[in-house]
Amino acid sequence: MFQSIISYGLAVGAVYALIGITYNVMFSASRVFSFTAGMLGMLGGVLGALFITEWGLPAIVGLVLVLACGAVLGIVTEIVTVRPVLKSIDQHLYVLSTLAFALMIQQLTAIWWGTDARPFPRLIPVGAGWLDQQFWLPMLACAVTIVGLELLYRKTLIGRAFLAIAEDSYAARALGLPETGLRMASYALAGMIGALAGFSGAEILLAFMGNQAILNFYGFVPVALGGMGSNRGAVIGGLALGVFQQAANFLVGGIFAAVAVFAVFIVVLLLRPEGLAGASAARRV
Amino acid sequence: MSIKRRTVLTGSAAGVVSLTSGLAAPAIAQSDPIRIGYLPALTGPSSSTGVGINRGVQLGIDEINAAGGVNGRKLELIVRDTQSEPTKAVNAVAELTQRQKVGVIFGPVNSGEALAATPLIARDKVAMLHPCWVDELIDVKKYPMAFRIAPTNTQVGGGANFYVADVLKLKKAAVISDTTGYGTASVNTYVPMLKAKGVEVVYQGHVDAANPDLKPDMLRMQSAGAQVIMPWSVNAGFLSRILNTRGAMGWDVPVVGQTTLGSGQTKALLEKPENWNKVYSNNFRNCCYENGKLPARAQEFVDRLKKSKIEMGDTLLWWIALGWDGAQMMAQTFKAAGTKSDEIVAYWNKVKDWPGVYGTVTWTPEQHNGFPDREVVMCEVNSLKDGAFNLAPGYSS
Repeated sequence: MFQSIISYGLAVGAVYALIGITYNVMFSASRVFSFTAGMLGMLGGVLGALFITEWGLPAIVGLVLVLACGAVLGIVTEIVTVRPVLKSIDQHLYVLSTLAFALMIQQLTAIWWGTDARPFPRLIPVGAGWLDQQFWLPMLACAVTIVGLELLYRKTLIGRAFLAIAEDSYAARALGLPETGLRMASYALAGMIGALAGFSGAEILLAFMGNQAILNFYGFVPVALGGMGSNRGAVIGGLALGVFQQAANFLVGGIFAAVAVFAVFIVVLLLRPEGLAGASAARRV
Repeated sequence: MSIKRRTVLTGSAAGVVSLTSGLAAPAIAQSDPIRIGYLPALTGPSSSTGVGINRGVQLGIDEINAAGGVNGRKLELIVRDTQSEPTKAVNAVAELTQRQKVGVIFGPVNSGEALAATPLIARDKVAMLHPCWVDELIDVKKYPMAFRIAPTNTQVGGGANFYVADVLKLKKAAVISDTTGYGTASVNTYVPMLKAKGVEVVYQGHVDAANPDLKPDMLRMQSAGAQVIMPWSVNAGFLSRILNTRGAMGWDVPVVGQTTLGSGQTKALLEKPENWNKVYSNNFRNCCYENGKLPARAQEFVDRLKKSKIEMGDTLLWWIALGWDGAQMMAQTFKAAGTKSDEIVAYWNKVKDWPGVYGTVTWTPEQHNGFPDREVVMCEVNSLKDGAFNLAPGYSS
């Protein structure tokens, strides 16, 4: 039981964490919570199965194509659903525009791919039991992503530009930074991370259009728990959520496991509205 | 006696009515094709059933027309693809009943569309023939012109319960579903029926179909002493996870349930082919192999399908048979009773032991569900050949 809680919990938690990071990267660049994160995760699995299983492409080529598709969808999201509503961000129209776009893509996936789950191939046929690819691949993808983002933000000029936009877009623009281009690049990066989440977790979650809603919901929980904009918080929150969810499956089972997860989520937010790793925002008076 | 203006007008009107009613209809109308409204889901996410049924309907109509039609009139299908969407079905009903003025409608073939369309067809007083299983579609008081040529969901669950309790003679069952409306409604309906047959339900639960690990629930079933797992879901991912987990646990217990257990989508998600062993899904006695042979009616039908080069490899025999039976039933009705809705309904109310390929149909004025309980059976899911399965072990002939 303990082994199952840890292996499944960490693997699924890593997928949630990656979706949480996807939310964060888009949020940092635009102050918009784009509900296309789950859609990107869903498509990562579906497109991976399409390229590798259906088309017979090598796994590495399939992965590169999935990341490319994720980047393109990220850019389309920015142009179609975010940019038009940025001027009236206080009205939160982005909730409607991003959700509508995600639902449209999901419906198209249902028509073109089908409503049934399909298998995702075992890419690296080594290891059995808890050493199986389905458990370590999402964790590896999560580790690579968080290290890569740290290096990007701290060691590269473009990464610093991302941070500058996230910190104060008006000041960054006054300094001559190309805000629109950087925002598009951020959405492309988010698209790749979201697609990677779905690709790495698809052996467990299967290539299934119905994963979109689950990833949208459970990917949002680590963001809220870890603090909006905090990638480290999202990783800790995601892994904790996965393990807690799997433990709840064993302890209470069935639909009550989901109830337990959301009960804890609400209690945490009541006690710390800024999230476990977030800081209270100071307000000038 | 004075003759008033009103009397003259009344008399003239009566004369015109009596003359026109006495005249024969124009000859051209008698050679017009008989039009049948038909609402299959040929595209969209839930179209696999519709595509299979459509092959049978088209074959049946083609055969009847090739033999000269009904009383010298060809049958014409007015086909409107519902695209697996209730709104499309509703729009199509309005066109079929009000503009095309058909006397009978076959379909819709998907439950969601049928639930939306049935009240409208009933309102327009058009006879309808249902191939769907949802119990609520048939109600002789609300929908007196609706008849079902297929089993109900209650019969389908009853068939599985009969197999567990009376054929396998098992005493402890685990009943599980996903959290969809179909899944929860099935469990809530079938569990009391199972208990009434003396089977103890040692585990009952609804699980989120997206939950990737069903081992916790399966361990609970095992520790509760379940001798059989009865899953109710149309989600291939959920069902395959049950079968894969059972295989990984080395738990040699039968799985008895819905037809999706035997679908190609479920098979594609199995980690090992042997995870499909001892899995029994709903099927229909006339469309199952018994000792390697189909019943004579079905075998003759399969031979006809092969002769007509009807593709069977990507669909199920009972879907095609259901469509073919629908076409035959309507043609026989037109020949015996006429083409108007009230003539069709009057004839259907007296149908007794009609020998279809899919099933034997009996209707009465009080009961418009025509499929017999005894023909709802279970089959071995790993035995598919020419769209049909082996009858599950244990049934008497």
